[in-house]
Amino acid sequence: MNLERLPNEEKLTLCRKYYLGGFAFLPFLWLVNVVWFFREAFIKPAYTEQLQIKTYVQRSAVGLLLWVAVLTTWITIFQHFRAQWGEVGDSLSFTIPRGTP
Amino acid sequence: MDLLSDKWIVNVVLCLLFVGNCNSVEKKIYINLNETFPCVRLLNATHQIGCQSSLSGDVGVLHLLESEENLDWVLRTGPNPPYMVILESTLFTRYRPCSLKNGSSRVAGVLAVQPTSNPPEGFSPHTSCPNENTGVYSETYGPSYAHCNVTMWNPLGTGISYEEFDFPIFSVKDDNDTEVIRRCYMEHNRAVNGSTPQYPLCAMQLMSHMAAVTDTATCMRRNAPTFSLAPDGVCDPLGDANIWASTKPLNSSTKGHKDGVSVVIAATKLDSRSFFFDVAPGADSAATGLVALLAAASALHNATAELNRTILYTFFNGETFDYIGSSRMVYDMAKNDFTVDLDNIHSILEVGQVALGPDSRLWLHSDPVSKRNSSVNVEPNVTQPLPPSSFQRFLLERPIPGVVIENHQTSFTNKYYQSMFDNAEYLKLNYPPNLTPEEQLELVTDSAKALTEVATTVARGLYLQAGGELAQMSRIQADSELVSKMLYTFLVRVNNSWFDQLVKSDWTGVLSELMLYEINTSERKVKTTEPALMVQCILANLTGSIANITEVYFCPFSSPNFLFLCCQIYSYLWVQGPVRPNSTERDSFCVRSLVRQSKALSPAFELSEYTSKNYSTWAESRWSAIKGRIFLVASHDLEMLTLGVGVGVLLMSLLLTYIVSSKADILFSSGREPTNATY
Repeated sequence: MNLERLPNEEKLTLCRKYYLGGFAFLPFLWLVNVVWFFREAFIKPAYTEQLQIKTYVQRSAVGLLLWVAVLTTWITIFQHFRAQWGEVGDSLSFTIPRGTP
Repeated sequence: MDLLSDKWIVNVVLCLLFVGNCNSVEKKIYINLNETFPCVRLLNATHQIGCQSSLSGDVGVLHLLESEENLDWVLRTGPNPPYMVILESTLFTRYRPCSLKNGSSRVAGVLAVQPTSNPPEGFSPHTSCPNENTGVYSETYGPSYAHCNVTMWNPLGTGISYEEFDFPIFSVKDDNDTEVIRRCYMEHNRAVNGSTPQYPLCAMQLMSHMAAVTDTATCMRRNAPTFSLAPDGVCDPLGDANIWASTKPLNSSTKGHKDGVSVVIAATKLDSRSFFFDVAPGADSAATGLVALLAAASALHNATAELNRTILYTFFNGETFDYIGSSRMVYDMAKNDFTVDLDNIHSILEVGQVALGPDSRLWLHSDPVSKRNSSVNVEPNVTQPLPPSSFQRFLLERPIPGVVIENHQTSFTNKYYQSMFDNAEYLKLNYPPNLTPEEQLELVTDSAKALTEVATTVARGLYLQAGGELAQMSRIQADSELVSKMLYTFLVRVNNSWFDQLVKSDWTGVLSELMLYEINTSERKVKTTEPALMVQCILANLTGSIANITEVYFCPFSSPNFLFLCCQIYSYLWVQGPVRPNSTERDSFCVRSLVRQSKALSPAFELSEYTSKNYSTWAESRWSAIKGRIFLVASHDLEMLTLGVGVGVLLMSLLLTYIVSSKADILFSSGREPTNATY
C-alpha cells in the first residue's frame, strides 16, 4: 500500500488502528507502525494530522522497546535454565532436544 | 527430431554399459566400517553411563596408539586435533580410558580393536563390588558386610562400564576392515622422524547419538511429552522374561499361597554384559550355571515323582543390572501375584559361577546374618557375606535358608567378569580346528566333564533338599554328552543339529550364529530374547513328556511366546525332532511340560517410581543410527580457500551482470536489421 496516494485522514486512521491493535499482545503491529509511519511523522513537512501520527509512532516505539526487553530477558533465562528446571522445563517446552540435557 | 532421439538412445546405452562401473561419488570417498559394536548409554535413578557422540557423528584424524608415549601426541602435542584414537588390542585392556576422558576436547572418539585371544592378566570393566546397593547387606542388615567391606568380590574390576564418556567408543574385530584402517594410517598419518604429517590426512567419523539424558526419571518423562503430536520415545526400561518350571504340576491360575505346597527353589541367572552393546558371551558368569542347572533338571527328571517337596527351577534374567528378574519375582510373590508365595518356599539353592579348572573346587556360600533352620549338610564358613546372587533379593523379604554354589572361596576366580573375554576360550572349550561342526558337537571336553560333575552335585543336593532318601542318591547322574552339547550351543555355535531338533521349524532363521546373552530392552510389553527362549525350549524338552498329539495344529499354544498367557498347568511345545535317516523329513512331536515364563521388568517401572532406591531402575537409551566410516580430509586452510574462491566468483559474476545490464543498450544495440514480413 502506498501511503503517498492516501489522504491524510486515512493515514491517521491507519496509524491509529495499528497502534490500538498492538495492545492485543501484538508487538509486531507496533514495529510496522514505527517503520512505516516514521517518514510521515518526522521527515515530511508538517500537516494537520502529523502531530497525532507522531504521538502514535512514539508510543508504538516505547511499547515495542518494552516488549523487546521483556522477551529478550525471558528467552535468555529460559534457554539458560531450562535444563536445570527439570520437570517444569519439560512441561514448558514444545520440542525437547534429544541427547542433550 | 531424429538426431535428438538418436543421441538420447546412445546416452542411455552408454550409461547402461557402464552401470557396473557407475560408482557413486560417495563410494569413492568413504569406506564404511561393517561390523562395529558401540558403547551405548544406560540410565538409572541418578546417573547416566556410557558414551555419547554428537548428532551427525564425531570426526577426528586417526591416530594409532602404539604405546603409552603416543598418548602425549593425542593429548598435548599433536597439531591436528581432534584425534580419533585407535587402541590396539594389547593396550585396550591395560589402558584406563580416564586420561582420554580428561583430554576430551582433543579426543573425538576411540576405536578399540578386539584381541584375538584373551589378555592373560585379566580384564573386568564391571565394578569391584557388583550390585552393592541392591543386595541384602545395608545399614539395617549386616552393616559390617555392606559395600564389600569383608570381601571385594571382583578385585580386577575397573568400573569403566559404569563411567560416562562424551565421545563415542566403538569396538571392531581384528579383520580385513581393520587392516584397511591401519594401512590408511600408515600411508597418510604417520609422523616420520619428527616431521608433522601433511594434509590430506586419514580421518574417521563415528556416529552413535543417544537420545536419552540425565537419568531414568527424565527419560521416562520425555517418552510421553505433554505437547508432542507423535512422541518418539527416548529410552526403554531394561526387561525380559524369567523362565521357571516346577517338578510337580502347580495351578497357575490361582495365585498366592498354596496350602500344602513346599517348594525348593533352584535358581541361576541367564544374562551377562560387557562394555560394548550386544557383546556379552558370559561363559563363566552365566552359561556354566545355567547349563549345570539344565543338566541337573534332566538328571532329576525321573526321580521327582517320589519327592515330597516340589523343586522350582528358576532362570532369572537381568541379574547383572541390580537384580531385575529376581526382584520382580520376589515382588510378585509378596503381592500374591505368583503361583506360589514366599511362605511356600522351604529353601533356596543357587548355582553361581561354576567353571572348574583342574585344581579348583566348589564352595558353598551362605548368609551369616539370617537365622537358619536349614537342613543343608555342609556348614559353610559363616563369617563371609553372600556373593552377589539372586538369593539376596529373597533374603530382603524373608529369612529363608539357602546356599549359593560358586567356584571361588573369597573373591571371584573369574578374571574376565562381565567382559567380552568371558567366552569359550576362557572355559578352555578347545575344539581342534580340523573337526567338522558335527564332530565338535559330539566331542566331550574336559570342561564339560567337570561341569557334569557339578551338575550331578547340584542334582543330588536338590534331591536331598526336596526330601529324597540318601540311599537313593547315587542313581542320580548328569549326562556329560548333554552338558557338552549345551555348552557348545550356548558358547560356540547355535546352529547345530542338536539344537535344530528342539526348535520349531520357522524359528531356526531367527537365532544367530553365535549366542550372545544380554538383557534386552523392553517397550513396556516384554519381549523375550534368544537366551530365554533357548532355555525355555531346552528345559521343556528335558523335563517334559511327549504328548499324544500328532498335528502341530492341535499342540495348543505351541509358540514359545505364548507361554506368558497360557495354560493353567501344562504348557506345550512343538518340537521339530530328529531327521529321519536318508531323508529330509523330521519326526516332529508335541512336548507337554511345566515350563513357564514370567515377566522380568523391574517393579520400579510397574510402580512408576523411577527414582527408587530399592529396585533396579536401569533403562537403555534409543538411538537412530550407529555407523562409522573413514575418509581423507583436507586441511582447514584449503577448505577456507575453496570457500573464499567460490564466494569471490559469485561476487564477480554479480558485479559483471550488473555492469553488463546497466550498459546493455550500448553493448547490444548493433546488428538489428529490419525484418521482412515474408510469412
